[in-house]
Amino acid sequence: MKTITRRSFLEQSGTGIAVVSAIPAVGVAGPQDASSPDPSAAQSQVHLKVNGQDHRLEVEDRWTLAEVLRDHLELTGTRLGCDRGECGACTVLLDGKNVYSCSYLAVWADGKNITTVEGLANGEELDPLQQSFITHDGPQCGFCTSGQLMSARALLNDNPHPTEMEARQAMAGNICRCSNYNRYLESILAAAREESSRG
Amino acid sequence: MVEKLNTVGTATPRVDGLERVTGRATYSADIRLPDMLYARVLRSPHPHARVRSIDPSKALAVDGVKAVLTHDNCEIVWSSGDRANQRRLFNNPVRLVGDPVAAVAATDRHLAEEALKLIEVEYEQLDFVLTAEEALEPGAVEIYPGGNLSPLFSFTSPGPGKREPSTYVRGDVEKGLADSDKVFEGHYVSKHINNAQMEPRVAVARWEGDKLTVWTPTQGISSCHRDISTSLKIAPEKVRVICHYMGGGFGNKNQCQDSDLIAAELAKATGQPVKLELSRKEDFIGVHGRWPTSQYYTIGVKNDGTLQSIELRGYSGMGPYKKSSGDIAGIDFYSCPNIKKQVYTVFTNTAVGANFRGPPYPQGVFGLGSMMDEIAHDLKIDPVEFHLKNFTRQYRDQTPYTSSGLAECIRQGAELFEWTKRWSAAGSGPGPIKRGIGMGIGGFGSNLGRSSAVLRLDSEGTLWVHVGVTDIGTGAKTTMGMIAAEAVGIPMEKVQVISGDTDRCPYSVGESGSRTTSHTGWAIVEAAKDLKEQLAAQGPPQGDDELIAEASPAPRLQGVARVAFAAHFVEVEVDTELGGIRTVKYVAMHDSGRIINPLTATSQVKGGVIQGIGMALHEQLIYDENTGIPVNPGYYGARVMTHVDAPEVEVHFIETEDATGPFGAKAVGEPPIVPVVGAMANAVFNAIGKRIKELPMTRDKIIGASL
Repeated sequence: MKTITRRSFLEQSGTGIAVVSAIPAVGVAGPQDASSPDPSAAQSQVHLKVNGQDHRLEVEDRWTLAEVLRDHLELTGTRLGCDRGECGACTVLLDGKNVYSCSYLAVWADGKNITTVEGLANGEELDPLQQSFITHDGPQCGFCTSGQLMSARALLNDNPHPTEMEARQAMAGNICRCSNYNRYLESILAAAREESSRG
Repeated sequence: MVEKLNTVGTATPRVDGLERVTGRATYSADIRLPDMLYARVLRSPHPHARVRSIDPSKALAVDGVKAVLTHDNCEIVWSSGDRANQRRLFNNPVRLVGDPVAAVAATDRHLAEEALKLIEVEYEQLDFVLTAEEALEPGAVEIYPGGNLSPLFSFTSPGPGKREPSTYVRGDVEKGLADSDKVFEGHYVSKHINNAQMEPRVAVARWEGDKLTVWTPTQGISSCHRDISTSLKIAPEKVRVICHYMGGGFGNKNQCQDSDLIAAELAKATGQPVKLELSRKEDFIGVHGRWPTSQYYTIGVKNDGTLQSIELRGYSGMGPYKKSSGDIAGIDFYSCPNIKKQVYTVFTNTAVGANFRGPPYPQGVFGLGSMMDEIAHDLKIDPVEFHLKNFTRQYRDQTPYTSSGLAECIRQGAELFEWTKRWSAAGSGPGPIKRGIGMGIGGFGSNLGRSSAVLRLDSEGTLWVHVGVTDIGTGAKTTMGMIAAEAVGIPMEKVQVISGDTDRCPYSVGESGSRTTSHTGWAIVEAAKDLKEQLAAQGPPQGDDELIAEASPAPRLQGVARVAFAAHFVEVEVDTELGGIRTVKYVAMHDSGRIINPLTATSQVKGGVIQGIGMALHEQLIYDENTGIPVNPGYYGARVMTHVDAPEVEVHFIETEDATGPFGAKAVGEPPIVPVVGAMANAVFNAIGKRIKELPMTRDKIIGASL
């Protein structure tokens, strides 16, 4: 019987094509406990650049990017709401584009630049979107917030002056069950104004 | 108008806003402990089956698999999982697709998932029944001996009650109908929908000696603590529940979930901490959603629109375990001398029907509000006039309200919405895209009751507020801090709120039933009185000294009812050819007494309305009738509202003076969803001139009605 693995499923379902290059591992980041790679599972070495920091890791091929970020790099600000590419809570930036990190294998991210919510602020200085989310009460329960922020960042990087409709459409992949959509939209448009006034 | 205060009433960003936007907020899933194991649950693929045998030996033989629990080695009763019968963590027979059969703890989550596949279970499939009305038919399979009508539910006396429909009678409906000029009958149907809060269920359990600590997303650390202590038969002081950040619940995370208990038992069996993570699909089928209903109304009126008689016979599908009342509510928002309501709450082989925001109301107000609109239409009375004539003046026409802004909500809402200007006769638009408007009224009880608070004032002037709340997204940490700042008379910046940990906080009522502000807020106000007396007598504390005040009030309302009210107005655009419905304008008028924090209160109303629109238009858990398998458990299948679906919701508060409660605040969280579905259905009727009587109002129904 043919076994469908997460990797083969994601690849066949057209989510992306794996590009695995062999960068020598200089050490396995993250805590050495129960979540080290299973020796019997297929593994690869990857080089991830996360929030400006280089990480060379040995990962199981079935690990998603979300899993590696959360469990191996301890960047738990990336949330898992559905783990099946439906809700957007796990959104991160991959070479500037917003992707669902739950549906993107870590091995595919080899050599790429990844930004998570932890990398949005510049030291203590918040990204205008983060400040705007606080002022305009974007987060209610806050669980979707990281993903909303990352999709909003991708939007404003791409289109600094979105119309309301453009913003709604760009954010369509990020569900908020508190349904605080009015506040998020308000926050994003206010941040766009703030950024353009700064020049 | 209410008197201006210093902190209360000022729009205040959340005290933990920074943590929420930087990813630093720690949710239960972010807890990671040394030597922690990962757990997964094997669930029944059948809606009703006897488990003949379970063989976990192949799973246990895998290196790294540490323990397997099944009904053979775990007979724990999950006390909060079912009010009526004895629900175990692992049941035999299994009674729904998703009923837990076994749980595995392993060194890795993937290993745990793979181990599930190695557990051999032999099932004997039994007949099953999916809807409440079918379950009451003669010959229907009995999910429990004695039939499928569930025992009555009581908040005050847990355990099984009599097996009969819940009944409420006032006056005499026969006489009421005889006195009526016209009688209307109608049948309305609502479906099971999932709470679908963004944070899935997860539990991390750790034993240190005989003390158990559980990190879990819960809407009430105190009730969760009590439930764990009861179910696992552990002394309360040996249980600690922690929940600092929680990713939404909407009723889905009341009390403790079986995952908390399973994690604790696996941790006990292995001697290692255990994290049990539920998948999104498990959350949809294995926890609970809003119970589906079937509602039969007979309503009598005078020709001038005065209500004479309301009779409701209703059926609610509770799944096979009864966690909540199963009531169908809304009649109390109308004044009427003769009422008879009978609700049959029935066991079915579906996902459990239990609390979801405003539990019995949105579906009840869909049916009843639609009936009221039918009557107004037939009698050619404007719906706003009809409601001003018939809205409730006294609770159940006999008990005065502590305050009511309902009339003002209706009047001012209609004005702000420009009701008269937007009104046109039902179905009169030229089409194919037709506009229509609708309205609905509603509310939610805002009782007072037992809760506690501890205040500590240190020599730096910092006020430490210990309250056993969890901030589930409502902004409770912020509102509790604001109430404390106001009551003690210090600025908000000097307040620190300590919450979400049963070892550090006193009892709190739990973030359900819109009770936190009224109950725990009141406890803060009472404790503040004591603190101010101490301050006056002793002066500010010096050095290591602190002034400490505690209050555990249990106020009871005597001879009055305390209710938060709302009236909603909506305009929709219905595409009669393609079946789509777009919300064009929405005005939500609310009487929640004094508003503590206008910023977060407004957000809650906006969110509740948009959730309600999802219920009206899209959401339902669909079951395959032949197999009893739910076919669309997940966000995509549920079609919850997204950024592109959500309209701008205009929110206004009528701030009434309510002499009770902290600074006169009433409920905010539950009411916003109550009138939505009815208002939407009425707007659709006004647009197309045909009434949709079954939720959700999907394209097929719109096109079918428009043919």
